[in-house]
Amino acid sequence: MIKNYFKTAWRNLLKYRFYSIVNITGLFAGITFTMLIGAYVWGELQVNKKLQNANNQYILTSEWKDPDMGYDIAALGPLAKRLKEDYPGLVKNYYRFDGITSAVSKGDKYFRENIQLGDSSLLNMYGFKLIFGDAKTALKNPYSVVLSKDKALKYFGKTDIVGETITIESFMGGKKDFLVTGVLNDIAENSVTQLNIANINSFFVPVSAFTYFGRNDLDNWRNNQVISYVELQDGVTAKNLEQPIKQLIVQNTDNVVHKNLTVHPIPLPDYYLQKNNDLVKRMLYTLSFIALFILLMAIVNFINMAISSSSARVREIGVRKVMGGERKQIIWQFLIESTVLVFIATLLSLLGYPLLRPLFAELIGKPISALYSFPFYFLLIPVAIIIIVGLLAGLYPAFILSSIKSADAVKGKLKSVKESVLLRKSLVGFQFSIAIVVMIAAYIISQQLDYFFNGQLGYNKEFVLSAQVPRDWTKAGVQKMEAVRNEFAALPQISSATLSYEIPNGNNGGNPPVYKMGQDSAKATPMQLLITDQNYLTTYQIPLKAGEFFSDTGNDSGKIVVNEKAIEVLGFKNTAEAIGQQIRVPGDPTIFTIKGITNNFHFNSMQKAIAPALFFNVQFAPNYRYLSFKIKPGNIAANIEGIQKKWSLLLPGSSFEYTFMDDTLRNLYASEIQLKKAAFTATILSLIIVLLGVLGLISLSIHKRVKEISIRKVLGASVPNITLLFIKEFMLVVIIAAAIACPLAYYLMSGWLNNYAYRITLTAQPFLWPVSLLALVTLLLIAMQTLKVALANPINNLKSE
Amino acid sequence: MIQLKKVYKYYNAGSKKTYVISDISLDIAEGEFVSIMGPSGSGKSTLLHILGLLEEPNDGEYLFLGDNVSRLTEKKRTELHRNQIGFVFQAYHLIDELTVCENIETPLLYQGLSLSNRKSRVAELLDKFNIVGRKDLFPAQLSGGQQQLVGIARAIAGNPKVIFADEPTGNLHSDQATEIMELFKKLNEQEKVTIVQVTHSEHNATYGKRIIRLKDGLIVR
Repeated sequence: MIKNYFKTAWRNLLKYRFYSIVNITGLFAGITFTMLIGAYVWGELQVNKKLQNANNQYILTSEWKDPDMGYDIAALGPLAKRLKEDYPGLVKNYYRFDGITSAVSKGDKYFRENIQLGDSSLLNMYGFKLIFGDAKTALKNPYSVVLSKDKALKYFGKTDIVGETITIESFMGGKKDFLVTGVLNDIAENSVTQLNIANINSFFVPVSAFTYFGRNDLDNWRNNQVISYVELQDGVTAKNLEQPIKQLIVQNTDNVVHKNLTVHPIPLPDYYLQKNNDLVKRMLYTLSFIALFILLMAIVNFINMAISSSSARVREIGVRKVMGGERKQIIWQFLIESTVLVFIATLLSLLGYPLLRPLFAELIGKPISALYSFPFYFLLIPVAIIIIVGLLAGLYPAFILSSIKSADAVKGKLKSVKESVLLRKSLVGFQFSIAIVVMIAAYIISQQLDYFFNGQLGYNKEFVLSAQVPRDWTKAGVQKMEAVRNEFAALPQISSATLSYEIPNGNNGGNPPVYKMGQDSAKATPMQLLITDQNYLTTYQIPLKAGEFFSDTGNDSGKIVVNEKAIEVLGFKNTAEAIGQQIRVPGDPTIFTIKGITNNFHFNSMQKAIAPALFFNVQFAPNYRYLSFKIKPGNIAANIEGIQKKWSLLLPGSSFEYTFMDDTLRNLYASEIQLKKAAFTATILSLIIVLLGVLGLISLSIHKRVKEISIRKVLGASVPNITLLFIKEFMLVVIIAAAIACPLAYYLMSGWLNNYAYRITLTAQPFLWPVSLLALVTLLLIAMQTLKVALANPINNLKSE
Repeated sequence: MIQLKKVYKYYNAGSKKTYVISDISLDIAEGEFVSIMGPSGSGKSTLLHILGLLEEPNDGEYLFLGDNVSRLTEKKRTELHRNQIGFVFQAYHLIDELTVCENIETPLLYQGLSLSNRKSRVAELLDKFNIVGRKDLFPAQLSGGQQQLVGIARAIAGNPKVIFADEPTGNLHSDQATEIMELFKKLNEQEKVTIVQVTHSEHNATYGKRIIRLKDGLIVR
């Protein structure tokens, strides 16, 4: 019996080849997309899960009442260590690190690398495996280094390099050979070695080397920039740590800190998904929903076509019934047909997966696991897809078709099943709605991204590139670097060059609290500290509002520049009033005088409101990281080559790793760009599926009405008359779908835009375009198909009756 | 075997009932060959459908093999169709996607016969009807007469007690029609299958042992 079901199913698929292909294509697109999204989601859920004892691993995050007082991802330096020492019953182990960037060299190879200055517990606590070296002792001695396999290959061309040395620069111009004591095997993505984009670390140096790098002591309670992790004892929860943490903070810090700080231990498996306001989690939900809806759309196509094409099956069903076929058996037969179809689509998806994986990985900006790298039991997933999708698609048609009255069917009275036209139109409307929502979303997301890049940044990003320079954070170091800067500025291809600690990428060195001279120091407001030279405004073309910017005459001692926002926050009435006024930082005896006021500009992502900013002259705060160049338009490649040559001349032993400001911004808005790409993919897929559906339904509709069309033609209907007949049927659905989709999209997208302090205002445009486009494409598709019938000689179709 | 007692079938047309057949009482004994005749719209097809359990009478009683079958559950009806009743249609109604062989096999599948039993029964029928050479062809590759031959083979495959044939030769030319009628006659005489046919043709009606004539839904006496 079963064999017979399959045989019939297969023959029917072959017989109605056109509809089978339309259905399989739609299902293939839906299933492949779902699989790829599923693989991506699974990969994201695996982050931190491979760590040893993952469920007991926590990161200590800080919640400051005033977010500018400290970083949420860092904690007070000694906290993790003291928790373990004072509460060994709760805390099994701890790991802390200070992330730095420095120049690493071996022979003629030199690059800037992210280095993790951390506790020796790293290797044992998380179970990171060394392919060479001894995990127990590798991070014991100060000038030792453990590096990743790929970095070993990069510098040495081999991995067996334990006992060799590699040179790492300090920030004071020093160079020192570090002894390689271990080479790490590849590590699965985790929030210890890859906390965030700025902290993807492949060099690990014992924390005892902090003095060499001139970093703050991790064991100082005033150091609030230490990334801290703890491993809890079995059965201990974050709640158990609450009291101990509070106690340690109160014991060791002053009023200002412990009144403002709450430390939250977050389990590492959750941390990755939760960080940045559930950024990853929201992305996963968004993508999963998109995949689900795309798949549903493909299923709807199947349902609609199965019901609409039922006229061809009515007689068969009737005959089967009079021969003693039970309804149950007829239902089975149709379910098996839909399952066979889904099976073929799934098989194609499995074949398509490896081919589309790299494309999709590039699109989503993350590697996607290969099929063979999934756990064995994932084999059940395609099986589950086949069964669930097969049932979902087949159930309704099976019930409708099996309910046919056999007498009417064999008598030939029944031309097609009594389908609910309303239901079919609702399903099509559902598809159109989804497609419209997705299109509108894609449109608005790209508008907002456009705004990020081309809107009012407050500075000019065009032709600006920046590169990190070797650090020597002394007055002499600054002077030397200023000389280098001047050499670059003299190049014909460079119009302006500037030395600074910050570039407008959202990362700045610190947020000192500032208050007006004579006011209560407790009312100090943290401000974004920017350390720059006098050329910063010129290079970035940030307009000066009042006063003057820095000079290089060395007389800027105690002089600062602020932005407009800072003036407002400090409570000055206008810019003129603020010039020459004095401000202070609590705990610092220096009195600063406001020398100039710049326009507001977007230092951070537009997600955040522009913060008050404070400029220090690099001559008096000798910390710097970047040289930024404004290059002259023209042959960019040649210009950069010129800079490159000059660089190796002026800064031998360091590499020129430059980034255009556009790319810097692209990093800043990486998740938005990811969303945009996903939205565009979804747009294309949903369009394909909707149009496949329209194609199938129109073709069936024409097939059914061919006699009607012929009679109308004989009665004098013109070709447009006939085409209009079919267009009317769909245009109403498009209009209703638009009426549902537009408010929904408006609601969803204004919710999304509300995440951004600076955003586009929603106009009619992002709604009108997608609707018109969809209507137009549908129209063309219908016109193309109906034209053939409309032009045919009516007699040919009438004779056959 | 078949007993109709005062059977009525009507449709509600507005407030008025339109009778398709009224006050039909008849008996058909096992092994009979009955022809139902009548002009278009006389209700002969409806009568056949009621006899074949494809439609239910609005009023009256229908006893099939002694059981009252005027009102049946779907399950019970399916069972009778499966085991006791065979149909032959004017338009043959073979399943286009199945071969000759598979078409004949279908009722046996529904009867739940084992593969070997099905194969031998199908082989027997192919042989008897002299269509072994066409067993792997699809209906579209056969002439009308050949299709009806397969239709009849399929109808008797499950060894039904009775065959209802709705104008079995209506779409055939006379040579083929004669062949089909001879076959019915043979089946009736040799295998004692009860046959009830509806026909337009006086000549074909004479193959039956009894003719029931209908006019305007009533039996003409």
